[in-house]
Amino acid sequence: MRYDIVVPPTADGSLAVTIASWIKEVGSPVIKGEDLVEAITEKITLYVTAPADGKLVEILVPVGEKVKVDDVIGFVEGV
Amino acid sequence: MWESQVARLTQKGYWLDLGLVPYTPAFAAQEQILQACMTGRFSPTIILQENWPVFTIGRSGSRANILTSAEELERRGIEVLEVNRGGDVTYHGPGQLIVSPLLYLGDVDLNANQYLHRLEDVLIELLARYDVQISKKADYPGVWLGEAKIGAVGIAVRHGYTFHGLSLNVNLDLTPFNLINPCGVSRMPVASLHQVLGRAVPMSEVKARLREILEHTFALRLQDVSWPEIQVALELVPLNSDGE
Repeated sequence: MRYDIVVPPTADGSLAVTIASWIKEVGSPVIKGEDLVEAITEKITLYVTAPADGKLVEILVPVGEKVKVDDVIGFVEGV
Repeated sequence: MWESQVARLTQKGYWLDLGLVPYTPAFAAQEQILQACMTGRFSPTIILQENWPVFTIGRSGSRANILTSAEELERRGIEVLEVNRGGDVTYHGPGQLIVSPLLYLGDVDLNANQYLHRLEDVLIELLARYDVQISKKADYPGVWLGEAKIGAVGIAVRHGYTFHGLSLNVNLDLTPFNLINPCGVSRMPVASLHQVLGRAVPMSEVKARLREILEHTFALRLQDVSWPEIQVALELVPLNSDGE
């Protein structure tokens, strides 16, 4: 099963955050709750975490691009 | 009746004063407590510390905003670290109070952006108790005395739990700010409470006033705890001086 990697609702709905880094590469095994992405504003670092155990299979939003709450930024294929 | 209602609404939390410590092991302790909070093994915790001289570079930052050589930094005994808070370059040293609330945003009914600005409100209320009027600036997070920055905010959020937080220049030697573009801004003026009041301010007094404000701002009943007590409670392995 594919799981969406979603910008968490801890950010203000109108707040754009920038993808600062993907901590895992496509193909890497991931554990549910593990940090996958650092997304930043000027003074806030938000960690986006793995939605399930499995493998990071696709990155939709590269480093440097802006996203908002609830945006899907990649996928994990569950085990 | 009213008091009992308040008691039900408030949450137990811990007040951990690490004192004057190097940045790295103090941050490692913060990460360990955060992990325990996220897994439900520990209550919300407010961590206080002063650091040995260090420039920290946040996730939006650049080493280009440190304007001096590695040799000069070594001569002055200032460490440089890249850290995972938001923001650019800043200076921490003895006399600056750093406060890191480890809270669940759902418990305080705030999103990350609202929480960041609530921390600014905490600083404004704290300095009002010294009859010092400071303010926020649109698009420039932190708190300002006129054009000079006296307190900073910068947070990180993982699974809805906050870490990092705020800093306030109490009795801080401000001269190392001349060696950086603070927050990435060239020649940004900075201020301290000592400078404003013309006297040294007891850090213990600042902490006591801050504690009251944080308790009512975030509906917490804070109880003192030491780092060794936390290590025992969470069965943590002691950290070495590198925070490992």
